[in-house]
Amino acid sequence: LEDHLTGQRDYDLLVIGGGSGGLACAKEAAQLGRKVAVVDYVEPSPQGTRWGLGGTCVNVGCIPKKLMHQAALLGGLIQDAPHYGWEVAQPVPHDWRKMAEAVQNHVKSLNWGHRVQLQDRKVKYFNIKASFVDEHTVCGVAKGGKEILLSADHIIIATGGRPRYPTHIEGALEYGITSDDIFWLKESPGKTLVVGASYVALECAGFLTGIGLDTTVMIRSIPLRGFDQQMSSMVIEHMASHGTQFLRGCAPSRVRRLPDGHLQVTWEDCTTGKEDTGTFDTVLWAIGRVPDTRSLNLEKAGVDTSPDTQKILVDSREGTSVPHIYAIGDVVEGRPELTPTAIMAGRLLVQRLFGGSSDLMDYDNVPTTVFTPLEYGCVGLSEEEAVARHGQEHVEVYHAHYKPLEFTVAGRDASQCYVKMVCLREPPQLVLGLHFLGPNAGEVTQGFALGIKCGASYAQVMRTVGIHPTCSEEVVKLRISKRSGLDPTVTGC
Amino acid sequence: MALLTRALSARAGPSWRRAARASPGFQLPLLEPAAVTRALSRAMACRQEPQPQGPPPAAGAVASYDYLVIGGGSGGLASARRAAELGARAAVVESHKLGGTCVSTAVCSVRGRRFVSAFRSTACARSYGFPSCEGKFNWRVIKEKRDAYVSRLNTIYQNNLTKSHIEIIRGHAAFTSDPKPTIEVSGKKYTAPHILIATGGVPSIPHESQIPGASLGITSDGFFQLEELPSRSVIVGAGYIAVEIAGILSALGSKTSLMIRHDKVLRSFDSMISTNCTEELENAGVEVLKFSQGIQTDDKGHIIVDEFQNTNVKGIYAVGDVCGKALLTPVAIAAGRKLAHRLFEHKEDSKLDYNNIPTVVFSHPPIGTVGLTEDEAIHKYGEENVKIYSTSFTPMYHAVTKRKTKCVMKMVCANKEEK
Repeated sequence: LEDHLTGQRDYDLLVIGGGSGGLACAKEAAQLGRKVAVVDYVEPSPQGTRWGLGGTCVNVGCIPKKLMHQAALLGGLIQDAPHYGWEVAQPVPHDWRKMAEAVQNHVKSLNWGHRVQLQDRKVKYFNIKASFVDEHTVCGVAKGGKEILLSADHIIIATGGRPRYPTHIEGALEYGITSDDIFWLKESPGKTLVVGASYVALECAGFLTGIGLDTTVMIRSIPLRGFDQQMSSMVIEHMASHGTQFLRGCAPSRVRRLPDGHLQVTWEDCTTGKEDTGTFDTVLWAIGRVPDTRSLNLEKAGVDTSPDTQKILVDSREGTSVPHIYAIGDVVEGRPELTPTAIMAGRLLVQRLFGGSSDLMDYDNVPTTVFTPLEYGCVGLSEEEAVARHGQEHVEVYHAHYKPLEFTVAGRDASQCYVKMVCLREPPQLVLGLHFLGPNAGEVTQGFALGIKCGASYAQVMRTVGIHPTCSEEVVKLRISKRSGLDPTVTGC
Repeated sequence: MALLTRALSARAGPSWRRAARASPGFQLPLLEPAAVTRALSRAMACRQEPQPQGPPPAAGAVASYDYLVIGGGSGGLASARRAAELGARAAVVESHKLGGTCVSTAVCSVRGRRFVSAFRSTACARSYGFPSCEGKFNWRVIKEKRDAYVSRLNTIYQNNLTKSHIEIIRGHAAFTSDPKPTIEVSGKKYTAPHILIATGGVPSIPHESQIPGASLGITSDGFFQLEELPSRSVIVGAGYIAVEIAGILSALGSKTSLMIRHDKVLRSFDSMISTNCTEELENAGVEVLKFSQGIQTDDKGHIIVDEFQNTNVKGIYAVGDVCGKALLTPVAIAAGRKLAHRLFEHKEDSKLDYNNIPTVVFSHPPIGTVGLTEDEAIHKYGEENVKIYSTSFTPMYHAVTKRKTKCVMKMVCANKEEK
């Protein structure tokens, strides 16, 4: 309140949330010579899991997920090894503890790295749970009970989100875990039921299956809502033919703990109405995420949120309903929930605030990859979206079923290795979307995202020489259209 | 059936020829009348036996095609198939197995071998929670699998040609001294208005006079015939083949040395890549012997072509390794196809753009590159107009492993717009 009287606030910029978006903003502003503070606080999960600075990506998202996905992939390579001459006794057992410890240690080193970076750039860091007092001031309680007040000219909210619990299901909160917990388990989750059809659900189920655990996925309707549905069903097909069990069209109604410690789940088959039960060691809820806005007291600042989702509403400049308050990342309505978009939007925002720039974030053609056992990379429109926007007659889809060279000697099933390019039909056939299902999909898709951003046409793709032998080259070799009805299976060079 | 009707009208004379030229369909071979019957019966036979040999011309006759391709490798096959799709009657001359260097000796096999080395991640696997993968490695198993796979590929290529009605002429082709460009294979002559040379390359071996005992060494051709993993290997060369083979042998347990003339490998690549690759080889346990003497590069006799793949003789073209430029399978394929479009679809400006061809070396870690090196850019644009962005990091894969490799990246940009 003193600050209001003197007109001098503590900071040029206060960032609420020390995740991918928040830290990027803070560091960028500090680099421009501003006085910056970051507040970050992790509310423990219902199961009691907590973690350090860095947000969802570093602690309970992208990073540990990718490392565990890698552990699972290695399991597959070990199985292939005898075909390549290695005398490895099969089956090779997996030790969850060893993997978890290695992953957790890496994450902790990243937490530390972020602390050091903030210090180096002279960004003040507070580990407090902040909430708005008025539109320029937040307050928070530090360890030890001391109350801290912080004021700033500009405030950026980047508090992200947390997994949703199906609180209407009896036993869900007490007995189930989420992605907040899975990466921090000290003991193996054992026989697991994953509930949900999101990429979180499928990626977790994928690596759990890969390290040898009995894994079931319960999906109420369609997999990977919002993604291209042809690709999504092939992702599931691959998982189903490689050891993951699926309960399609089912929804859980109750979770109980049995005397021997196992969890008994009751569910309903939505088509037949029949009830069924199953016994598991772990139940993992992956049914979506909710924004972390409830405890912020946004009304005190006058920041509007969406009545449906409680996410913060912003315009194209990341501005909220209050002129000097902005929001980026997972907490924002209508934005992709991805680390790289949060980081880029944050940096551009800071450049506009303090660097004299007028560049806005472009949310079109953002590439992404789902790290399921067979990875799915995509950029641009799904086939359905393209047809909805332009009409079937104006869309041409080129596609191919290919077989990665590495799959041959090991005799791996390549049925779902598939790529398709969605284009406008009129020459030069602008590329609207690219979808790649196969090994290293993230590495493959990244380069093509640049081409699509530059407005590549199918004609240009055709003139791009491929790199041989790779899976990536299959993109530039696409010649068969869906419309032609010809067999899209790749044969020789 | 179309072949049958045309054969019947073979004797019609000039009006037939005019009609045949007007339509974009294929032309009949210029056979003697007596041979028409043979052509007919062969046409019928075509439908039952899927493997016609070259036409048996009468003694002294020259079999004529629209397009003759010498060399059944990546470039030759792609061009022949594309030409056949566009209506040309094509034949491919090959003295060994179909598929060429790519399939039999180099790329596909090296890639397969590389995967083996990726399995030195038994150590890495331990860090990811897989205890004792103390696997022993058995060379024979993969050699058998690799041989079987290559054989399958050879068969696939053969079938592809058959499906496209392309003749396969077995044997070694040599140009004759006839006034019209003509080749001779196993005593029989063949001619065409367009002849493509896509004979590829062979590893070069230093002469005995330069290095006594040179013939005791093997090349990448011989590498894939090895029955056992050599316990000690010395590789002579600093190019990508030497780098890849040295990497593989070393990773599989052979004590390996790499003998190079200067102090870095891959000297035609960007200096950052050249330095890093040399370092990584040494870190991986390969003994890099620098400034080694005595190896002279022969003049390989690369065929000189213009941007349209024309040689100095009208009607004779060359693509692929034999031209000595951008020795890559996809390049040979693309150039071969462009040539076919130029010749048989009359697309006069159809040619391959050799700029910005991406390429990969499957070293450990692998290298990917496209466009100019830093030095080339400085030479082209001037040092003041070149800006370099670079980064160096340890891939997250190694966050949990003992063994680490470094990833380095460089982006070379020119002028104000930082292209």
